[in-house]
Amino acid sequence: MARRTNHRAKEYLVGYLFVSPWIVGFLAFTLWPFLQSIYLSFTRYNIVAPAKWVGAANYKMLLTQDPLFWHSAWVTIKFGFFSVPLGIIAGVGLALLLNSNVKGIGVFRTIFFLPSIVPTVATTVLFMWLLNPNIGLINKALARAGVTGPAWLKTAPWAFNSLIMMSLWGVGGSMIIYLAGLKDIPTGLYEAATLDGANAIKKLRHITLPMMTPVIFFNLIMGIIGAFQYFTQAYVMAPTGGPEDSTYFYSLYLYNRAWKYLDMGYASAMAWMLFLIIIVTTGLVFRTQKRWVHYGG
Amino acid sequence: MEGSAVRRWALWGAALLVTAVVFASGHSTPRQYPNRKLVRFWHRWQGDWEKQVKKIVDAFNQSQDQYEVVPVSVPGEGADAKLILGAIGGDPPDLMSMGSGAVPNMAANGFLAPLDTMMTPAEKVQFFQHSYPAIRDIGMYRGHCYGMTIGADLMALYVNAQQLRDAGYDPDKFPKTLEEVEAMGMKLNKYDAAGHLTRLGFLLSDINYISHDFGGGFYVREDGAAELNTPQNLRALTAIVEYRKKIGFENVIRFQAGLNDIEGAASWAFMHGDLSITYDGQWRVEELRKFKPDLDYRVYPVPPPKEGGTPLGGLVGGNYMLVPVSAKQKEGAWEFLKFWSGLDNPDRAATFYNMGGWLPYSPAVANSPTYQKWLTGDSQFRAFLQILASPNCKPPPAIANLQFLDDLIAHAEDEAVQGAKTPKQALDELDAKFKEETAKRRALGYDQ
Repeated sequence: MARRTNHRAKEYLVGYLFVSPWIVGFLAFTLWPFLQSIYLSFTRYNIVAPAKWVGAANYKMLLTQDPLFWHSAWVTIKFGFFSVPLGIIAGVGLALLLNSNVKGIGVFRTIFFLPSIVPTVATTVLFMWLLNPNIGLINKALARAGVTGPAWLKTAPWAFNSLIMMSLWGVGGSMIIYLAGLKDIPTGLYEAATLDGANAIKKLRHITLPMMTPVIFFNLIMGIIGAFQYFTQAYVMAPTGGPEDSTYFYSLYLYNRAWKYLDMGYASAMAWMLFLIIIVTTGLVFRTQKRWVHYGG
Repeated sequence: MEGSAVRRWALWGAALLVTAVVFASGHSTPRQYPNRKLVRFWHRWQGDWEKQVKKIVDAFNQSQDQYEVVPVSVPGEGADAKLILGAIGGDPPDLMSMGSGAVPNMAANGFLAPLDTMMTPAEKVQFFQHSYPAIRDIGMYRGHCYGMTIGADLMALYVNAQQLRDAGYDPDKFPKTLEEVEAMGMKLNKYDAAGHLTRLGFLLSDINYISHDFGGGFYVREDGAAELNTPQNLRALTAIVEYRKKIGFENVIRFQAGLNDIEGAASWAFMHGDLSITYDGQWRVEELRKFKPDLDYRVYPVPPPKEGGTPLGGLVGGNYMLVPVSAKQKEGAWEFLKFWSGLDNPDRAATFYNMGGWLPYSPAVANSPTYQKWLTGDSQFRAFLQILASPNCKPPPAIANLQFLDDLIAHAEDEAVQGAKTPKQALDELDAKFKEETAKRRALGYDQ
């Protein structure tokens, strides 16, 4: 008996030793900074000098005296409002197409998935060239069709629209998850529907989409969180959020406050506001799932 | 020992060896003089400039036997954050070349060592009494010098002489007023059949610089009193917007987007005749000498507007040399800085300034035989020295939130030029936002 207990303890120890790099990393580089940032958000802190307690001043200023905070939050929400649903529609649409049983489908799936594994910075730089108003491929193609393309990243509404368009470039990542969801739908449901005389549209509406809702729900939540944390593309394309602050995303403003203006306390308060916004938004979306997500599979 | 136990120990041994090799290879500063004290120098120059920096470093390393400077090129974007992280981690460079906006903020936050504390009395006299005033003041914060400019930047007008002649102008009789330059620019513009610009005659832009030619500029005193929304600045911004309207905002945007303006390379649009008169920095003189020596061009200071302007106005920016307060080898950093700047030997340093087409810190360097000889070959550089010596050439305000102010100025120009706001509204907003931010910072306990 004692020998078995000893063996078990040893197994536990080995198990913990195996996961210890992750545990140490999580405690040191995630949990500790996470907790520390709560304290810092109530201080004036520039990294070098010790933090000075300022109470709720950072939060008060954010909410009452900082129009850029509200503006950047609005830009981010607006981005999420358009990019997340568009990403879902494009992802599901592509998955439906790539679920067909045609020759070489594996190649097509790879082609559509590939952009999602290209580094974000490389994709962004590529789009900066594609969207160049004078020599960019997109405007060249539009010109061939007799259309004068917009100035894309150089003018206010189009810069924002360009980023939404760009967000669809990485849709291959969610497409794979949708594809897995499609494969998981029991074929018996389609057979029964065929016997009942349902056409393809009816099958899509009454079987495919309802059965896909758990996957759509997952991607919706991840999309919302991703949209609120949107940073790299905006930073590479316009580090100061131009033109006319139209691409001044929340995370970009947070970064500038922290690293450009060395205002870590204020930036920590912004990070916590962002955390709260994400928690509330995802909480609200979670509350809606009873109405439209079907876990019947 | 059983075979499996031997294998297990061998496996652990191999794992430890791999770990040791990986960690050991992470610290691989290349040393030529391992017995000397190491001075780590981070800079932002790349391409051809990086090669010039390497030559200067080599010259220093060969000139003495106490220190070895090892240069590392750190790309511009994010260089500030890298320095800060290095300082927090207790392992910053000993010397860093940094863009202008960050210095007062870093000085105010205690990142930087005051350079004047390292100067001998004679060096202090040399630096504080004999430097060009704008260059001396550019790295000052609260009475101390935290940054010395090795490569100060100034802007002036580059003029394509042949294109002016073709349009009926004499390139050696350049206009005396800004309005005349604008008219000349309109005549030099070229368009295709669809009305798109194919050559830009002249473009008035960059309020932060141009405002000084209008007798303005963006000033904030140490007590926080600001002169931002002034009639002079309003006139400058209005001139920029009105001129842009004449050419067409989108037309300019599209044309400029198609230009290749990589610095330190042979791709500058002016070299290829796409720009007739263009506003650019002094480093282009050296680029033209290297990459387009046969181009017939002139450089002139921006002439002031007919009414209310100031001649030879300008705003100094550029590369500051900083010593982090936690640097391990401050003395070595200072020795190298002195060597490069010419504080101890102006004539020797003249060669270094010439290598990158940089502006010297003092008239002593500019008047040295080596520098004067170089000027005979690159005579167009004289326009920049003229501006640098002028009392109307100013440094940016030495305030901790300078980067915030710079962003606001760029934003105001962007909004006015894009037509989202009138120049007046844009400056009103700039003024209000800056005051708001200053009040906010004061409430949080910052000086400004």
